[in-house]
Amino acid sequence: MKLRCERDTLVEALATASRATASRGGALPVLSGVRLEVKGDQLLVAGSDLDLTIETSVGISNGVDGVAVAPGRLAVDIVRSLEPGAVSFEADEDKLQISSGRAHFSVMLYASDDFPRLPVRSGEAVSVGVAEFAEAVRQVVPAAAGDDTRPMLTGVLLTSESGTGLRMVATDSYRLAKRELPGTSVLSEGQKVLLPARALTELQRILSSADELTVRLGAADAGFEVGHVVLTTRLIEGDYPNYNQLIPAHYPNRLTIGREPLVEAVRRVRLLVKDATTPVRMALRPSGAELSVNSQEVGQATEELDGKYEGTEGLTLGFNPAYLIDGLEAAGGEEITLEVLDALKPATIRPAGNEDYLYLLMPVRL
Amino acid sequence: MTDSAPTLPAQPTILHVDMDAFYVSVEIKKDPTLAGRPVIVGGTGNRGVVASCSYEARAFGIHSAMPTARARRLCPQAVFLPGHFDDYQEASSAIHRIFLSFTPLVEGIALDEAFLDVSGARRLFGTGPEVAARIRQDVRQTVGIECSVGVARTKLMAKLASKEAKPRPSPSGPQPGPGVFVVLPEEELGFLHPKPVRALWGVGPATAARLTRMGISTVGDLARAPLESLVGSLGQAAGRHLHELAWGRDPRRVEPSRPTKSIGHEETYAKDHYRAETLAVEVIRMADAVAGRLRHASLEARTVTLKVRFGDFSTITRSRTETAGFSTAQVISRIALALLEEVDVSAGVRLLGVSASGLADAGAEQLSLDDLTGPGSDDAGWKAATGAIDDIRRRFGDRAVGPAALAGADGVRVKRIGDTQWGPGT
Repeated sequence: MKLRCERDTLVEALATASRATASRGGALPVLSGVRLEVKGDQLLVAGSDLDLTIETSVGISNGVDGVAVAPGRLAVDIVRSLEPGAVSFEADEDKLQISSGRAHFSVMLYASDDFPRLPVRSGEAVSVGVAEFAEAVRQVVPAAAGDDTRPMLTGVLLTSESGTGLRMVATDSYRLAKRELPGTSVLSEGQKVLLPARALTELQRILSSADELTVRLGAADAGFEVGHVVLTTRLIEGDYPNYNQLIPAHYPNRLTIGREPLVEAVRRVRLLVKDATTPVRMALRPSGAELSVNSQEVGQATEELDGKYEGTEGLTLGFNPAYLIDGLEAAGGEEITLEVLDALKPATIRPAGNEDYLYLLMPVRL
Repeated sequence: MTDSAPTLPAQPTILHVDMDAFYVSVEIKKDPTLAGRPVIVGGTGNRGVVASCSYEARAFGIHSAMPTARARRLCPQAVFLPGHFDDYQEASSAIHRIFLSFTPLVEGIALDEAFLDVSGARRLFGTGPEVAARIRQDVRQTVGIECSVGVARTKLMAKLASKEAKPRPSPSGPQPGPGVFVVLPEEELGFLHPKPVRALWGVGPATAARLTRMGISTVGDLARAPLESLVGSLGQAAGRHLHELAWGRDPRRVEPSRPTKSIGHEETYAKDHYRAETLAVEVIRMADAVAGRLRHASLEARTVTLKVRFGDFSTITRSRTETAGFSTAQVISRIALALLEEVDVSAGVRLLGVSASGLADAGAEQLSLDDLTGPGSDDAGWKAATGAIDDIRRRFGDRAVGPAALAGADGVRVKRIGDTQWGPGT
């Protein structure tokens, strides 16, 4: 295997594929590698941790066909550190020579036979609007569970009840985010797939500079094609919790309030939060809301906010400030509505006048 | 803050109370026929260690932390007992209550050991030495065991003094000690300086060896050594600290409440375990016990740590932190089992431990959506069930109810604090 390529082009391809390599200890060593394959004037770069695979291709010159698996992180760091200009790779059985100008590296390779087989594209290709899809991912992914004690909750549910439109749902059992994409049709009626949130986070990264997205849903995996990049992720198997019953049908109490001022006020009063169990209190008043934090060993903070409140007076709720900020940031828009039943039932945050997004947040018992 | 030197009390009012052969004494109280015999409490299996031994056993050269196998060779006729931690805990609580009846300033060091500051008790109960005598009498009458009390102006001195108050083993039977040993202010240096440097807190084998090379073997040698050479050899902090101690200056106060940083259980097994299923059951047992103690203390944890020691003594710990606090066995088991799953146990597991940290008062509780979906769905309903479990255990004892995974032909194998603390029983 042999190639010659511009440094910046090569760095981008290597770095993109490396995002999928296994970083955790304990994984097969070869999974921390990137697979390099030269075919004519193309270099295909792939990284995979078995769950997630990212493949990309770039044009090269002086190519000699062949395959090699190089340490991913190291290859990126080396190529990035080189002087701008052309870089050449040449691999023999067990070493990759990286040269540029007068710099020369010789790096041990992994056995390319050990690298997992690259996913085969399956399922019908459906084109999806990038901007809307990327926004939905940004709004939903923060609510997915960050640890895998309940693997199901590390996923984002994609579902379509009527066959038209797409719904994305994620929850870590303390909050739940739901986004409707009425104009996006990927799934057939009643179909449900559960995608790892990590894969969607990586997809979001790739989407930031793209204007087209093609989705393929196979039996056991999902593929996303963005320009020259293909991201394939294993689907999470199993039944997602029944989230519909969690969303209250109506609320007697509703606060409408400016979103940015609320986020900023939460950030301020939260400075007095000493540990993860100290809640932010939100007292609902006809004139708006009063935020407060009372940390016994640190002190107190309060801030009043203007808004419009209809409902029971004197209702006070406690929230985990990080969860509250996540929901407010995800909702977007100028104003949000916060709806509650009582201090022990889930509260709902929506962008005012927009039914497409919903963030359900369980309060902290005060 | 001014950097003023701490003022020492004019009178000896710091007490160090230490039970005499605590676990053994509790056993003898239960079975008086053991009195006067060499009795050893500890791990009775071949990996066990001695936790406590009677003065009769000490005459054979047995001491705590010695491997039980060695103790057996030194004194085959001794009575070897596994520990009954519940009983020690109960006795310890009773003793603690006695301490608190004299002063609120009680700093528990271990089940059988505490510092007391009785400077405020003078009017009610008398001087330090007088309180010490009354405490010994109350402990003897209420709990039925003996203790030794050191009385001095500092913790350092009080701790050294309680050793002087202890009975001494001898081939012809234990010689009773004075019970209370007082170090008066003017006697402090005369008492302290002849002692070997190892008597000072913070002098371990390495420091002692370094001091020996400097020709320092007693505390008096240390006191007279130039500070610069101590600092040169031991470092700035340790050098100054030891020099201060050598002159009897110990500014540490009696700290009544020491907040718990973590709650955990661990167990050494008689045989290495290789099967993941067996280890999973052990993890569930320990998670259940940890959860019970968390709730007992009205605490919630956010981090679970799994400790695994392999057959070759190599030890790893794995931990995971959740965003919300928890105190149910279900959550702790779930996390600990997930951690266990990531550990390769094929080398054989000798010791397993589960602990919870990141503790906070269980006041503000993050509610979960699971709470809405009713019992049966994951953690939902477990909080209510857990409350019921706590009630049952309070009324009928800890082994009355436990996780189904722990049920066997001989009942529920619930893990209790102190079980096989000193190595496996068999």
